[in-house]
Amino acid sequence: MSPLDLVFQYWPAIGAGILGALVPRGDASTKQRAGLGLIAALTTLFVIWLWPTEGGAQAAQAAEAAGEWPHLLNLLIALPIVGAAAVLFIPRQMLSVLRGFTYLVLGIGFVASLWLLTVPMTAGWHFQYIKDWMPSLGIRYHVAIDGISLWLVLLTTFVTPIAAYASFGSIKTRIKEFCFALLLLQGGMIGAFLALDLFLFYVFWELMLVPMFMMIGVWGGADRVKAAIKFFLYTMAGSVLMLAAIIYLVWTHQKLTGDFTFDYLALSRVVLSKNAQIICFWAFSLAFFIKVPMWPVHTWLPDAHVQAPTGGSVILAAVMLKLGTYAYMRFSMGLFPGPASNLSANLAGVAILGGILYGALVAWKQRDVKRLVAYSSVAHLGFVMLGLFSATPTGMQGAVLQMVNHGVSTGALFLLVGVIYDRRHTREVDEFGGLAKVMPIYAVVFLIVTFASVGVPGTNGFVGEFLVIMGTFLSERLGKFAGIHTVGAAAGVILAAVYMLYVVQKMFFGPLTNPKNKHLPDLTVRESLALAPLVLMIFVIGFFPSIFLDRMKESILLQHNQYKVVSGQAILFADERDAKLLPEDTFSPAFLKGMPKKEKPAEPPAGAEGSQAALGGEGKVAQ
Amino acid sequence: MSTYVPLFLLFIVAAVLAGALFTISTVLGPKNPTPEKMIPYECGSETTGGRFVKPSVKFYLTAILFVVFDIEAVLIYPWTVEFKNLGWIGLATMGSFILMLVVALLYVWKKGALEWEK
Amino acid sequence: MNSGLFLGLSPLLVVSLGGLLLMVAEAFSKRRVDETSDDRDAGPSSELSLGTAVTLLAGAVFAAAIWFVGPEKLEGASSVAPWVIVDRFTLFFSFVLCLGGALAALLAGGYLPEHRLDRGEFYPLIIFSTVGAMILASAGDLLSLFLGLETMSLGVYAMVGFRRASLRSTEAAVKYFLLGSFAAALLLYGGALLYGATGHTDLAGIREAIANMQPGKGSNFALVITAAVLIIVGLAFKVSAVPFHMWTPDAYEGAPTPTTTYMAVAVKCAAFATMLRVLIGAFGEGGLESWAAGWPPVVALLAVLTMTVANLVAGQQESVKRMLAYSSIAHAGYVLVGVVATMRAGGDAQGSVMFYLLTYTVSTVGAFGALILMGSRGAEAVSYEDLAGVGKRHPAAGFAFSLFLLSLAGVPPTAGFFGKLYIVKASIGAGLYPLAIILLLNSVISAYYYLRVMVYMYMREPAPGAPIAKPMRSGYVATALVVAGVLVLVLGLWPTTSLQIAVEAALATR
Repeated sequence: MSPLDLVFQYWPAIGAGILGALVPRGDASTKQRAGLGLIAALTTLFVIWLWPTEGGAQAAQAAEAAGEWPHLLNLLIALPIVGAAAVLFIPRQMLSVLRGFTYLVLGIGFVASLWLLTVPMTAGWHFQYIKDWMPSLGIRYHVAIDGISLWLVLLTTFVTPIAAYASFGSIKTRIKEFCFALLLLQGGMIGAFLALDLFLFYVFWELMLVPMFMMIGVWGGADRVKAAIKFFLYTMAGSVLMLAAIIYLVWTHQKLTGDFTFDYLALSRVVLSKNAQIICFWAFSLAFFIKVPMWPVHTWLPDAHVQAPTGGSVILAAVMLKLGTYAYMRFSMGLFPGPASNLSANLAGVAILGGILYGALVAWKQRDVKRLVAYSSVAHLGFVMLGLFSATPTGMQGAVLQMVNHGVSTGALFLLVGVIYDRRHTREVDEFGGLAKVMPIYAVVFLIVTFASVGVPGTNGFVGEFLVIMGTFLSERLGKFAGIHTVGAAAGVILAAVYMLYVVQKMFFGPLTNPKNKHLPDLTVRESLALAPLVLMIFVIGFFPSIFLDRMKESILLQHNQYKVVSGQAILFADERDAKLLPEDTFSPAFLKGMPKKEKPAEPPAGAEGSQAALGGEGKVAQ
Repeated sequence: MSTYVPLFLLFIVAAVLAGALFTISTVLGPKNPTPEKMIPYECGSETTGGRFVKPSVKFYLTAILFVVFDIEAVLIYPWTVEFKNLGWIGLATMGSFILMLVVALLYVWKKGALEWEK
Repeated sequence: MNSGLFLGLSPLLVVSLGGLLLMVAEAFSKRRVDETSDDRDAGPSSELSLGTAVTLLAGAVFAAAIWFVGPEKLEGASSVAPWVIVDRFTLFFSFVLCLGGALAALLAGGYLPEHRLDRGEFYPLIIFSTVGAMILASAGDLLSLFLGLETMSLGVYAMVGFRRASLRSTEAAVKYFLLGSFAAALLLYGGALLYGATGHTDLAGIREAIANMQPGKGSNFALVITAAVLIIVGLAFKVSAVPFHMWTPDAYEGAPTPTTTYMAVAVKCAAFATMLRVLIGAFGEGGLESWAAGWPPVVALLAVLTMTVANLVAGQQESVKRMLAYSSIAHAGYVLVGVVATMRAGGDAQGSVMFYLLTYTVSTVGAFGALILMGSRGAEAVSYEDLAGVGKRHPAAGFAFSLFLLSLAGVPPTAGFFGKLYIVKASIGAGLYPLAIILLLNSVISAYYYLRVMVYMYMREPAPGAPIAKPMRSGYVATALVVAGVLVLVLGLWPTTSLQIAVEAALATR
């Protein structure tokens, strides 16, 4: 292929690169131009690369057989953790080495995670890797990815480097510890998204707590210690109950089959007795609701956010909260579909009243911008949870997409709040006004991100919220209340517009009254480079949502279908006294791939073909 | 439980008897106190000092060492009686026991516990 | 004479002989310091600490060796039963006790010279207490049990009062001595009643007699129950279960820190070993092991009280040492949950208790050791304020302390997490859901005060002019911390083998 061909084939990317380089104002440095250009070009390339083409599907199909390197997920998990250990051996005076090393590890992680996109996400597990860890207890190292966790892993690897880049601008003390905490956090989050063994999941889930605790407590604001301890205790209180439920489930499974296993797939088959089901559902879900956070267990979030350093807030909002929603989708709905579907109408009510509406109203009354953004997170995650409770394919797709959206736009909002805080060391809305005159670029970026957060068409927020609301309206689970729920959710969108635009109006427009604001510098190179990818992603998701939706569709259909079937069975089967085991054919073979088997080793091709066939069939049913 | 009944009876009789004797002697006995009668009996010599005399801690040390070696003797007596029956095992056991005491003696000696004045 | 017997008793013999030799060596040694000297290496600690640790580790190695040979293969080892039972249970506890004792001796090697307490008597005391503890763990008869208990306790009483010049230390020793004797008396009284009721002092005989006993008129069942209550109370004193824990905080706080470590680790483990032996060995049949008419509800109540009260009080302490004392009480509560679970879940539950004791030993030694390391002469680290900013000034020490605290709090992937996990698993397996939930909620409460230490170490700066703890330099303490730290991580990442060993050891008593 001649260079000229390349130019023709990739003209949009080159064009975008040039455009990106031209965007900054006349006096911008070459570094800034080059950086922005590069980011724009890469984003465009990303879109081109993922654009569905005629031949592409087949080529990808062929690639699937060969292309799944089984250690990819291990690499994604182990790289940051090993990197964190390595950081301990770098002298603390060598700041640039520390930073460079952190970038390197996160960068490799990001590039490696892009590889996940080369595989078409057919239903079932990909890049599965299983290894016995503690065989006598049936604990295995079992990681795999599907169309749902794919996007969350990518979100993690995408946002963390940005958070790191932004943090190194504002954090000046104890860089070594920061690098350590950041990398460990990254490893824990990715591990939690990928783990399919409940025990492994729990380990990663707890592993995240300590670095985040340190991050808030060491580099946070004035009242950081209280916030950090609150964060830790809330999360831990939830997770120990989950641990009890996990052990109960494992023990029941052992009673039914004689095998100890912590494997998610095997445990999905267990139908507990009626009350145990409900109790275990709550034990799991409470842990996740705290993490999400859902009303009324959301109170740790504003404190944690307000006190956390910018980088910490970004990671907390963009990724850690998603662990709650993701885990609810994967584990609560997967393991206890019966109670999940019985309670979904009520829970949806809580999500709307307590999350979307209450969150929005409280956000409206906040005077601290960061607190406002934190409460807006409560509202946004209410949408995600609503999508999950609606349990329609559309709603669930919307929920997953909204998880990514929230990660991108709220991450950007926290960065933006960090920008103004670094300059003025206050975040009170009343301190500002007319900033658009002194910081025009900042104002524009803030406005764009606000639009995304509000859900203006063309931005990512619109797609997600639209899908969620549509899914809610169509939902059978919500019964005759679906309409009311929909109205409530829609009202939430309007409220979001009210409080977000209110703050924009107060901060950026109107007269420039406060003399302290007269000479604030506009975005620095570092800040603009950190924000650029997020802003571009807002539009990429907004204009080309199908790139994302296509890759998650099959997994979501599988999950939804299974949820529907199994929840029916579970409700039917559950009786007062005994736990039961669902037959294997209740589940799609693609789902059960990798389940621990007693004597049979994993089936070679025959099983794989069968699973493909079953898959096609089910896909149709779900349609 | 019925086997214990005589035991309980004994306790009761003893308690009643002792109590009765004390009561009767206090009630019936003539009381004619003089200062000489009220002072503690010290074989005729004058009483000196308070009631609580602190003995030197060395007395305790000596006493405890005495107990240790006294018990040694008590253990050796039955062994000598049964010496033939116990045979070599008995000899070895007693040997190690005495060895241990020798070690203890050495320790005590080196630590200066046997010296009164130091 | 047979070699099997000697091999079977070799851990005991090795440790006793080593103790005797060290004792004499210390008496003949010329190394004496007057307590005003500044030379930290001149005193007897510099030699004895290592000697003691080596002796105790040799005991541990012998125990491990017999484990691999298989105690059941040793002919003649049963000829001392039931006074001393040589089985896998004994060997497991011998190993744990020797390990704990050795690490405590290493800590003492740094602590005593640093704080002008360098007198050689400490080390024979540790060794002979450990011998007593080992006898206690191996006793299958109430008489040898009492012998072991007293041997162990007498040494520890002296070690608690080792700081003679300090009133608090003396107070602690007197308190511990009085309450300890009281507990021993209760135990003895219980034993006497048991003998009266069953005609046996050996645990197996007692068990059999109880099993054959017909409840009803004319039987000695009431006597047995009284005896059981007395024995449980006596043991509860020793493991410091609420409400018999009052001596613990004062004794732990007043004692020199290596003694505290030793008490928290070895004494507690030995007491739990006895508890398992007695409750399962003697009271394991005849309805006494049932929830309806036996000890489980009593122990369960003790467990709940112990966990909850200790955790609530620990959170209010201003002294880290006292906090760790309460935390050790709380951990006794967690172990008691496992003890209750043994009634239904059997060997697995008992194995989880024993595994927990192992993980607890290494984490606690580490936590106290880190606290010792944080202080130096004239500036012993005791309160939270002393630790302010340590994480920044001395990152390695702060990191070590954090690791052990996280293990105590039960955060994966540390040893403490698996300890808790197995106990919870056992209690759920036994159907004791409320106990499991209470345990887990308590571990959340406990996270609060463990985290507080980390908060002070990493997130607070010392107030200007406030005295700050200066870490000491001691190879011994550092070695102990490294050993404990490696064990915490190894047991946290690969717990299966040691759990299997613990279960196998537990099955020996069933």
